[in-house]
Amino acid sequence: MRPILECNRLTKKYGSFFALTELNLSLERGQIAGLLGPNGSGKTTLIKLLNGLLVPTDGHIMINGLAPGTATKKIVSYLPDCSYFSDHMKVKDIIAYYSDFYKNFSTERASKMLDTLEIDRNMRFSALSKGTKEKVQLVLVMSRDADLYILDEPIGGVDPAARDYILRTILANYNENATVLISTHLISDIENVLDRVIFLQNGRLALNETVDEIRTKYGKSVDALFREVFKC
Amino acid sequence: MLGKLVKYDLKAAAKIFILIHAVYMLICFAARFLYMDRLDFSEPSEPLIFSLILFISLITLLVSALSIITCLQVAFRFYRNLFSKEGYLSWTLPVSGPQHLWAKIISGYILMAADCIIIAAGILFLVTGRNVTAAYNTVADELTAELGCSLSTLSLILLAVCLISCISSVIMIYFSVVVGQLFPSHRVLGAVAAYFITNFIIQIISVIFMLVLGFLPGYNTAMLDGKAMMEHMFRLLALSFLLMLVITIAQYIASHYIMKKKINLL
Repeated sequence: MRPILECNRLTKKYGSFFALTELNLSLERGQIAGLLGPNGSGKTTLIKLLNGLLVPTDGHIMINGLAPGTATKKIVSYLPDCSYFSDHMKVKDIIAYYSDFYKNFSTERASKMLDTLEIDRNMRFSALSKGTKEKVQLVLVMSRDADLYILDEPIGGVDPAARDYILRTILANYNENATVLISTHLISDIENVLDRVIFLQNGRLALNETVDEIRTKYGKSVDALFREVFKC
Repeated sequence: MLGKLVKYDLKAAAKIFILIHAVYMLICFAARFLYMDRLDFSEPSEPLIFSLILFISLITLLVSALSIITCLQVAFRFYRNLFSKEGYLSWTLPVSGPQHLWAKIISGYILMAADCIIIAAGILFLVTGRNVTAAYNTVADELTAELGCSLSTLSLILLAVCLISCISSVIMIYFSVVVGQLFPSHRVLGAVAAYFITNFIIQIISVIFMLVLGFLPGYNTAMLDGKAMMEHMFRLLALSFLLMLVITIAQYIASHYIMKKKINLL
């Protein structure tokens, strides 16, 4: 089966700064991959390129064998690292919006998760706390039956209890053939759910191995290896 | 998908649009019953003329403000929905770039055309009191002979021109916003500058065309009779529409190209 994600000599320049340099990367289906690296290593740039929010300077991206476009957006579920809903919308309006545009969105699944979290669907998005906004966004993203979930810092701004809920939500809502790509700094929190780890350093691929390989090869946890590789 | 995008655009704009236009209509109603209906045109006097000039100036200001607010609403919706944080959602919907652009053109046009119609309705309501129509009837024949058509026909022509030119106005606004995105650190300033520079260039092109085609200089419309006046107006309108069509198509193509090739949502 074709990899869900392939990057070939992918390069992105901002002015004279190379955010990504000739990145070659392949990601198979059915795994949870952690996209890790220090600030400015190119994680968010890579994620935006995968979602067609940035135009590559050079190189190619293939998602399920297709360049990012309308067809790939149907199968990619993306969680940005910021609030992206219009503030005037109510939670129920946002659910209707997702249901209108994404055929693979399950209103039932979203409603169930919102009920568990006791989030009032009549609340305006602007009236929710930062953590609740992040939960609502994650619930919507994970309520799609996507082939590739791309989550940019999904647990960055929430308390430890909410982190556990979010990680449980991710694990409970993706099917075996789907792939989850998670970018985060909170490695120790997600290490246990990861199958694979991708390290980015200065816009280049520093490591792409399974968590088991890392533990066997280096005799360390992902968190310990990260601290060693990216030691300041 | 196009219909859904248009639906959400209109939904987002509806509240403010309805509110400001409702206020405008209320002002028109109040002005009609409290001011216009009380005017006595049987004995024109200096105070009457002075108060009418003041009133027309205020209504002109109100109408201009309403049009500007609607234009800003259209521009901000386009900018916010596609190029601010909301763009993270908009651009990851399974919708193509041209569909996004067309949805915004359709919704923007609906708002601007509705604005024109409501403004026209308000003005029509202001000037259809018995005293005004009776005063108009005394000069109607003379005015029709001067204009080459009745005032109502001319008003309808002007409304139709406004409704058609709304399309180019909407595309010009979007073109300016898109050009502004090419200056990542000054997006809004870039868009405003693009709007005024584009307008300036269009004015120069229009003057050149008018010179080349003999509309300028020294075309004395005061010397024309009604029929010749209408012919002159239609020739000018034909030239304006042709220019508008060419410029609008060019701006649409440029907007589409920039959105596809140059947009980087930072």
